[in-house]
Amino acid sequence: MGIEPGRLHFSWISSAEATKYVDVAREVAKEVKALGPAKHFIKKRAEVA
Amino acid sequence: MLEYVEKIRKTAGKLFEEDKVDVFIGYKKGSLPMMNQPVLISNADQVDLLHWDSNCGLNLCNYLTKRTDRIGIVANGCNSRNIVTHITENQISRDQLYIVGIPCKGMIDHRAVQRAVKQKEILAIEEQGNTFTVKGKDFEDTFNKNDYLQRNCLVCTHRNPVIFDEMVAPPVEEQIEVDTYKDVKQIEGMDPEKKWNFFTRIIDKCIRCYACRNACPLCYCPTCFVDESNPQWVGKSSDPIDTMTFHILRAYHCAGRCTDCGACERVCPVGIPMRQFTKKLNKDAQELFSWEAGLTLDQRPLLDVFQPDDYNDFIR
Amino acid sequence: MTEKIYTKEEWIKALSGLKSFYNIFVPVRDGDFHTFKALDEKKIPDFNFQNTRLSPKSLVYPQSERIFAYTLDEDTPDANIIKESEKDYSPKAVVGIRPCDAHAFQIVRPNFDNPEYQDPWWIQRYESTTLVGLGCNAPGSTCFCTSVGGGPFSEKGLDALLYDLGDTFLIKALTEKGEAFLENAQGGKEADDAALKAGEDLAAKAANKIEQKISIDKLKDKVQTELFDAPFWDDVAFACINCGTCTYLCPTCWCFDIQDEVLEKQGDRIRNWDSCMFPLFTLHGSGHNPRAKKVQRVRQRFMHKLKYYVDKYNNGVQCSGCGRCVRNCPANIDIREVCELMNRL
Ligand code: SF4
Ligand code: SF4
Ligand code: SF4
Ligand code: SF4
Ligand code: SF4
Repeated sequence: MGIEPGRLHFSWISSAEATKYVDVAREVAKEVKALGPAKHFIKKRAEVA
Repeated sequence: MLEYVEKIRKTAGKLFEEDKVDVFIGYKKGSLPMMNQPVLISNADQVDLLHWDSNCGLNLCNYLTKRTDRIGIVANGCNSRNIVTHITENQISRDQLYIVGIPCKGMIDHRAVQRAVKQKEILAIEEQGNTFTVKGKDFEDTFNKNDYLQRNCLVCTHRNPVIFDEMVAPPVEEQIEVDTYKDVKQIEGMDPEKKWNFFTRIIDKCIRCYACRNACPLCYCPTCFVDESNPQWVGKSSDPIDTMTFHILRAYHCAGRCTDCGACERVCPVGIPMRQFTKKLNKDAQELFSWEAGLTLDQRPLLDVFQPDDYNDFIR
Repeated sequence: MTEKIYTKEEWIKALSGLKSFYNIFVPVRDGDFHTFKALDEKKIPDFNFQNTRLSPKSLVYPQSERIFAYTLDEDTPDANIIKESEKDYSPKAVVGIRPCDAHAFQIVRPNFDNPEYQDPWWIQRYESTTLVGLGCNAPGSTCFCTSVGGGPFSEKGLDALLYDLGDTFLIKALTEKGEAFLENAQGGKEADDAALKAGEDLAAKAANKIEQKISIDKLKDKVQTELFDAPFWDDVAFACINCGTCTYLCPTCWCFDIQDEVLEKQGDRIRNWDSCMFPLFTLHGSGHNPRAKKVQRVRQRFMHKLKYYVDKYNNGVQCSGCGRCVRNCPANIDIREVCELMNRL
């Protein structure tokens, strides 16, 4: 949809897998940081009349 | 088509007489051409209301959610697949249903017909097998039905019901060698910037009436994420980013579940081709997991199973 | 009042000239349907249309509008002070609005502008807008304006009215605003008797072309609770998918919701259209929902339009007969049929 590859990750984590959740979250954050600021899909002040 | 109508009425009548159902859900002829209306009847005297033709594009499975009575229902290919999905997702149980299967030759794309007659007002439509005739005040045109099928029907490979208790006619030939995902492949070829612009453009007329969501049998959550106010996930104004959020998330919520019945696209008052969102996910489901939604009661839904030894490396 | 006649080319030219006095909105073909858009070099007005898919109500009452803004930045002197947002009230003219849609502004007016309450934003936008109607030579099959107090050449709510006489437009000013509009318009000539006669004939013929007659005469005398408890609501509501199509497209639906959006330190109070068809519409803070069921919401829409409004304002029904909801309801819920049921009960 135009969201750059790397910004969206899917993973299967059970509610019992706290450590896995932390690992995945760290990993994703690292990758997204490396991509720099997003260009699209950013909520700004509402464009309304 | 007329044989179908006769058969549907007879079957419904019989079901009431034999006390096999409490209600029967089908379509009745609408008050406008190309616009049939879902109808629920509750006794044999009403069976003559029932109708079937190529304008039955709303998905009847939508009307089954959490019903508690015994229901007779007509179902063509895609509707039957949504019924399967409904059963596996516990929205209705198989033994409540008596499914009258309809081999389907596709639905007419009312917008394409309107375009063909240059948006002149159509006052009547009549079907003759593979052709249909539309009439207006000072015109009359006959078209080949196959040239005016809904876009989803053009690429449908499950026209025959996958689940039924009785069929109104022998199965129709399935379409083979259709390039179901031609449009998706084209979009996949774009770079992210182009893709973003493409999807922004197709939804730019959206008025957030949610007809697409509400016409879809998959969207049965008691409170949709867009309506949730505590926490609030999406802004409710006509801001384009909020509108995009709605569309992207709606599509994700249909992943591995969408049958490409086309109801969403059919109902949109401004003609947004929002199937472009869901079709990509359907394609991924098929390519990555050999999964097509709603084909059998014997398998759990795609995103409802997990194997630790999954061969795909993006799931860890 | 002024009555003038323009050739069609002259009229388009006149509209261009009027741009220095007004922001002009005209029907423009946009894909499969027509929409009102601001006239500019790139837009070709197309007066050969049945009606726009969306009603022009948004020109006076936008789907979303910022009404107040505030900052949460404690370092600024006006922290947490809610301020009214600036709005554009410069003169607007809607040229080619159908008589039903102009009538609709009259129907909704008592809601936004009555002795008790005045909605400043609606009123100011409405007052800065000149409505130049275009009579309907060929009403559509779903039009029933004549049943609800309007007509294909009805002047209700209009400031001026255009008659399409083939190669020419006859235009009649109907109010002061319409008079001012014509004064600013270049070209054209004084309408002669022949043109006026042609206009009258056209209007008479058009009214006869409307086959749709629905009855609303008994609604006023019905007892609210009896209509409310009528046996037909379940059947009427069955097919409805509870979307916002009917209410968002309708020129006479006026309901809104107010939302605060805060982004970092910037706060906006935004008013958005809402719809009685949505469950959220009546959801209470307590979690209770007095209209939790679909049938209750469908009933509300029709009861409001065809009974509560009738009783409250003594101004006819809350429907101008434009037929949009009839044409565009995905489930074919047809207000003409429901109105008959209610009137007949
Ligand atoms: S998608 Fe297939 S089964 Fe469904 S209506 Fe179209 S042709 Fe028929
Ligand atoms: S039906 Fe169309 S206009 Fe309505 S929310 Fe869906 S895409 Fe938007
Ligand atoms: S998303 Fe659209 S095509 Fe898919 S099942 Fe829902 S209504 Fe049908
Ligand atoms: S009446 Fe029609 S348009 Fe209105 S909410 Fe129901 S389905 Fe949608
Ligand atoms: S209720 Fe329907 S016909 Fe009446 S004004 Fe609204 S959209 Fe038009």
